[in-house]
Amino acid sequence: MQLALGAEEESFRADLLAFLDAEVPEELKGGRDWIGDESPEIPKWASEFQAKLFDHGWMVPSYPPELGGRNATPLQTLIFLEELASRGVSRSAHFGGYAIVGPSLLEFGNEQQRSMAPSAIRGDTVWCVGMSEPDAGSDLASLQTRAVPDGDSFIVTGQKVWTSYAMVAEKCFCYVRTDTSVAKHKGISVLIIDMDSPGLEVRPLRHLTGAIEFAEVFLNEVVVPKENLVGELNSGWRITMGSLAHERGALWVESVSSAQRALEGLVEIARRQGLEQDGVVRRKLAELYEEVHSLRALGYKGFASFAQGSSAPEHSFMKLATSELRQRLYAFGMELQGPYAAVVDPEFVEEGGRWQQSWQISLAGTIGGGTSEIQRNVVATRVLGLPRG
Amino acid sequence: MDFTLNEDQVLLRETARAMFGNECPPELVRDAFYDVTSTGPEAASSFFDRHLRDWAALGDAAVVDLCLFMEEAGRVLAPGPVWVNTSMFLPLLRAIEHPSADLVASGQVTGTVAVCGSDGYWVLNNDPMRSFVPHANEVDVVAILSAGNQVSCVAVAELDLQEVATLDRSRPVFQFAVPAGLDSTEIGAEQLAAVLNRGTVALAAELIGVGRWLMDTTLDYVRERVQFDRPVGSFQGLQWKLVDAALLLERADAAVYYAAMCLDAGSPEQDLAVHVAKAAAGTAARRWARDGLQSLGGIGFTWEHDLHLRLRRAQASEQLLGSASWHQDRLAELIFAPD
Repeated sequence: MQLALGAEEESFRADLLAFLDAEVPEELKGGRDWIGDESPEIPKWASEFQAKLFDHGWMVPSYPPELGGRNATPLQTLIFLEELASRGVSRSAHFGGYAIVGPSLLEFGNEQQRSMAPSAIRGDTVWCVGMSEPDAGSDLASLQTRAVPDGDSFIVTGQKVWTSYAMVAEKCFCYVRTDTSVAKHKGISVLIIDMDSPGLEVRPLRHLTGAIEFAEVFLNEVVVPKENLVGELNSGWRITMGSLAHERGALWVESVSSAQRALEGLVEIARRQGLEQDGVVRRKLAELYEEVHSLRALGYKGFASFAQGSSAPEHSFMKLATSELRQRLYAFGMELQGPYAAVVDPEFVEEGGRWQQSWQISLAGTIGGGTSEIQRNVVATRVLGLPRG
Repeated sequence: MDFTLNEDQVLLRETARAMFGNECPPELVRDAFYDVTSTGPEAASSFFDRHLRDWAALGDAAVVDLCLFMEEAGRVLAPGPVWVNTSMFLPLLRAIEHPSADLVASGQVTGTVAVCGSDGYWVLNNDPMRSFVPHANEVDVVAILSAGNQVSCVAVAELDLQEVATLDRSRPVFQFAVPAGLDSTEIGAEQLAAVLNRGTVALAAELIGVGRWLMDTTLDYVRERVQFDRPVGSFQGLQWKLVDAALLLERADAAVYYAAMCLDAGSPEQDLAVHVAKAAAGTAARRWARDGLQSLGGIGFTWEHDLHLRLRRAQASEQLLGSASWHQDRLAELIFAPD
């Protein structure tokens, strides 16, 4: 157990920092949320930055160069994610392509489908992932969008919801039901569906901040060629597990770093509001500091388990813990502004209303990507070994 | 930071766990809980004499190694002065280059440390009394700290010890009047901080061990206990409560070893890390004592069940070397310190 990393790791970090110093776009400096306005379009500077990351081997470092990486070790990947997170730099405006579709195609696709992975990772082709449905949220396996075989095609009918960037995507990595006679998770397949297919309609959804970041996707007898099936028929449930395995041990870093930056911001607000001598404020900030700091340590501890090939039970806690923590951090940031806590008028409020905006967005954190309730169920049964109810 | 244990550390943990498992069974711990008296050095736990004097040299070792050992000691609630002797007394003697330090490292001489005035805060002072002196009746020497970073070593036999009964009979604490005219040595401010930090993190590691026993015992029980035709551990309400407690313990565990790594590396973050470690570990241990007791129901509330020994240890150790809120106040001072 030691603080310092090796010379090779530090050299990797130095290369990365040199690249970031030279290439991070102005729009990303100082960190930002992707949602700043209401346009669903992917900004040109974001596409260019993603392509540049890919071409220089910094998009998915653990991949080989032809897939936008540089064969980085797990520890180097952790360093990479940590440095990006501490600067608030996102690799892409749309994580579906590089985080889900690319890796899934590589792991489960045929030769032709694997050849689509580089453009998915580079961002040249924008993908969306069709998973949730109005009646299939936490219970994803109960999805009902139906794909019926018809000669050389599947005919797909159904509806997806919360589909990020469906408004601008060219292709959809879509989970469909191909067998209704078996247990629900055993009758699921994955189809690649062109977003401009006849019968496919996208209706943008505005979330509670007012921004449009995802959409409903309606499929009305959409014809999908049979060769667009990814993997085996009825084996789609396995593919839901196929995301970036190499990075799984380090995904927590972004949330923790974001929490760390929020904490630093809280200290600044407290100072500006003249509250730094307030005992309640001091105690609360110290509690938050304790939580952020110990969660960071827990993430690293889990990473050590992960790097040794274990399932890292420590990491099962991270999404649950960080999503709830971030809500409390941003809410406290608002509270520190006293009567102006709910004000969003940039003329009157701290940092242009950043805290109010971040708080609203953070409310989704305990819902998307596995609700806190599901996370607790999973930890209880798989980590603590408690019997299912 | 790299949490991977090297081979030596894995071996240390396994050896300590095996030793405690074989030599410190629950019956011995319960006997020690009832037998503690204030009759001086003869009352030192025989388990400590037979087995833990050999480990005293860990006080000279890396803080990570010391914590690995103290966690195992906490898990079984090992009786005797091992924490204070190994984690505070020996490092203190080393810091002032005391001639008897080697005797302590070899287990021949044992000691404790006296810091608190009658207000009970672990802050150096010139109070005529020292209070909350742990295990004074089980050791040979007391190192008395006073304002101005002064250290005086006094044989226990020369002190008029008065036991102050606490909830935790396994960790007796004493007060005494500081004798007049003591010789003293000055300890450097940084060295004093290092000694207090090491003792604090070691205590936090012990509390992690206490928490682990509570968590394991609770989970085992709720998996087996059947009511309404199902294990009570299958009820979602109980599951969610225990998940939240487990999260507290897991992050506290990581925080303790992070602090240990900081101390071993001489990191400028070490004070922050130590405050976090003690606050988190104490909170987690008390949380598991509380939730464990609740989960065990009636049987947890009995004298016979070993849970209350841990409840007492968690509750009393919270106040040793600073409670969670005291450490959080120190954290706030560091957070708001001018850059």
